[in-house]
This record gives sequence, structure tokens and C-alpha cells, in this order.
Amino acid sequence: MKKQLFFQSAVISTILSYLLIFVGGLVRVSGSGMGCPDWPRCFGRWIPPTNVDQIPSHIDPTSFNIVLAWIEYGNRSLGVIVGFSIIILNVIAIYYFRKELKLLVSAILSLILVGANGGLGALVVSSVLDPFLVSLHMILALILVSVLSYACIESYKGMHLEKFKDMEINRTLSNSLIVFWILIVIEILLGTGIRTNLELVSIENPLLSKGELLNTLDSYKYLHSVLGFSLLFLSIYIYLKLRYNKLYIAQFLGAFTLGMIIVQIFLGEMMIFFELPQLTRLFHTWGSSWLVGVIIILYNCISNEYAQ
Amino acid sequence: MNTLNKKLIIAFFSVLILGLIGLFTIHKATQSRVSNLPVISKVPDFQLDNFDGTSFTEKKLDNKITVASFIFTQCDGACPIMSTNIGILQRRFSESDELQFISITTDPDYDSKSVLQDFSDKYSGKDNWFFLRGDIGDVITLAEDGFFLSADLLPVGHSTRLVLIDHDRNIRKYYEGTVDANILELQYDIVTLIDQG
Repeated sequence: MKKQLFFQSAVISTILSYLLIFVGGLVRVSGSGMGCPDWPRCFGRWIPPTNVDQIPSHIDPTSFNIVLAWIEYGNRSLGVIVGFSIIILNVIAIYYFRKELKLLVSAILSLILVGANGGLGALVVSSVLDPFLVSLHMILALILVSVLSYACIESYKGMHLEKFKDMEINRTLSNSLIVFWILIVIEILLGTGIRTNLELVSIENPLLSKGELLNTLDSYKYLHSVLGFSLLFLSIYIYLKLRYNKLYIAQFLGAFTLGMIIVQIFLGEMMIFFELPQLTRLFHTWGSSWLVGVIIILYNCISNEYAQ
Repeated sequence: MNTLNKKLIIAFFSVLILGLIGLFTIHKATQSRVSNLPVISKVPDFQLDNFDGTSFTEKKLDNKITVASFIFTQCDGACPIMSTNIGILQRRFSESDELQFISITTDPDYDSKSVLQDFSDKYSGKDNWFFLRGDIGDVITLAEDGFFLSADLLPVGHSTRLVLIDHDRNIRKYYEGTVDANILELQYDIVTLIDQG
């Protein structure tokens, strides 16, 4: 029952964090990052202004754009909600699971991460959206969902020991999941690097079209595609290995991983041929964040200490 | 219906709804960039002299996007920052012949044509940045009545704001010339105006 409570709280925190990554991506692709020039408030107000008269006289109203302000503030508000849901997770962990280190540590670590990422958000604004800091902000969010996914699967295992008891251990599969996760992280870092460089070039060359921007990048942008295609084969392997697994989640997530890789390749190529449409960028980034968490859950499903 | 199908349908609708929210938000944000540049007023007629001796009137603003500012060369606070920022914009848009810059001195007694020439050599990298001087009375009138900027206690009391003027001589927006965030905003707005033609 207590485990159930922790599990539910962890699942809610994880889903909210994924939603937060989506909204954060929306801020980036819609160019709303400076929608609120101050932090944590927005034009000196806890509720963003709805018209220019509400801006206090000591704050310059030049950059006021009601749409961008509310998009940016949506990201911050959802961040606060995620913060609260993780605080609840920590209360449950500290109250009931002081001796279960896996649960306790993952809860505390996620609290530290969400706090740190909020603070980093302030730096992002005060640096006027330094592309490196923006990317770091996203990477911290990916670490956060990884830790939360771990908390989900560990508490789930605690509740359903019987399901995991007769799992057969497959070292090769476990190891290939580790390799897959590392490669996904590298792939995300490469993608983030491309994004960062495009933004840096576009600030210096505001007149370049998106197609011309892509051409300014070195050939390392192809590394992202090459690695993407090779991940396809690894994910096919993982899918085939898990296809008849006794554990329903393992089957499902194996198929999910393969499907998501195919979707990601499709979205990625679309971005090249149609000059980076914003919505495609948003889902490309978001999909990759799902893979990070899903692989962590998969690994912990099939490589567990309860198995015989 | 089994649970897998149910989950797939939930997933389908979640992604669809998020996609629609994303599309709507991106559309609104793009739209807001244009609607956030309302026509504030038209720049009145004026006549000033460029540092190369030629005359510069309001007619030179037609069919160009202009970034206007007030400065004076002996100013050691805001003007060097403003001028450096304008120089950065000039470099970033150097491929465009639609954009031009004017800086009007608030200290015409000291800022002779040759002083302005030296100032231009220091900050400007292209011939689309005009350093203008004229009778101080005309400059004050232009600043206060034409651009709605404060012009008390000149030369030091000039406004540090940059003014964005469109192809039709309309004032569209003001930017604090010393704040990086506002310069970036100005850069995006210039692109919006260029895209609009």
C-alpha cells in the first residue's frame, strides 16, 4: 500500500516532467524564452501582465509581448507544479522508505535536480538565452526524467516481486540496453550540439534561411544521422529479444523503443527536407527524451536482483 | 477492447492534442511578433546634415528600414555601448541593402563634421550609417515632437533608446540601446519587417 503510494507519486512526477520537457521545447521553438525578461516574476508580477499598462514603471516595457510572456510563464508554472509533486514524493520517501535506499536516493536526487534546473532557468534568462545554457537546461531535465523513471520501476518491482522472480537473466540483452542508453545520450548531445550551433550562427547571420543555416554546419551533423540509423538496428535487436518476454511491460517497451526510433528518424529527415519546421523540432526533441526514460525502465525490468 | 488497444488510443489522442496545442502556440507566437510592431506615428519632415556634407531629410527614410538614435561623441556612458550595439547590428545585416542607421548628435557645437567622421570610422563598418548634425533647436524638436523622446539638459540628457522606423517612415517600436536583450529583440523585429517586405 505504501509502495503503491510511492509508485503513483513517482509516475505522476514523471509524466508531469515529460510534459514540462514538452512545454520547455515549445518555449524554445516558438522563441518565447525572453517572454519574461525578469525571474522568477514576469515584468515584476507573479501573474504576467495582460496589457502594457500593468507593467510597473521601473521595468522597461519594450520587450512586452503578451503571447510570449504567457508561453514562458507556462513553462515556469509547470516547473513549480513538478517541483511540488517531487516534494510530495520526497515526503512519502522520507516518511515510509528511509531504509530503502534506492527509493529514498532517487527521490532526493530528483528534488535536487528539479531545484537546480529551476535555478539554471534563471541563468538562462539573465544570459539572454545563451544557447549553451539553454541546452544544459534541457540536459538536466533529461537526467531528471531518468532518475524519476528509475524511481517508478524500482517501486513497481517492490510491489510485484512475483512477476520478476522467474525472469531469466540475459546478459547480452542487459549489456546491449546499457550500450543503447549511452548511444542515445550521445545522439541527444550531438542533436543538441547541432541545435546550439544553428542558434549561434543564426544570431550572427539573421538573414540566412534555415536551409542555408544547415549548410553552415560542419560534416559532423551527418554523425547524428549515421548514429540514428545504426540505433535502428540495435533497437530491432532489442525488440526481437523482448518480443516474447514473460513481462508485459518489457514486451510493450521493446516495441515502443523500436517504434520511437523509426519515428525519430522520420522526423529528423523531415527537418532536413522541409527546413526545420518548428513542430517537427519540438516532437523530435520530445521523443528522444522518452527514449532515455524508457531504456532505464527496460534495463531495470530485465536485469534485476530478484531474478533467479 | 484489450488494455493495449486502450493505451494506444490514449497515446494517440495525447499526442494529437499536444501536437495541436503546439501548432496553435507556435502560430500565435509567430503572429504576435507582427502584431507587436504597431504603427506608433509617422516621422515628421526634417533636414539635417550628414558628416560628409550631404543633406539628409526625411525622404531618405523612404523604402528603407531605419534604426535611429541620439548620441554625442564626448559622451562616455551610454553612447559607446549604444554605438557598439548598432555596429553589431550593422555587421549582422551587412548583406541587406534595406537597412540603414542614423545617429543624430545632441552636441552639434562640439561634434563638427570631422569629429563625426572620426566617430564613424571608429564604430561603422559600412556606408549605411549616417551621423547627422543640425541646429540644436531642430534636434530637440525632432527628438521630442518627432520621436517622442526626452531631450532635457542636452547633450547628456538625450534618450538612450533606439527607434525602429519602417519602409513607410512609420515609427514601429523603441528599444533600450544599452540592453542586450532589447538589441536581440530589435534584431528579430528587423527580420520580421524585412520578411514582410
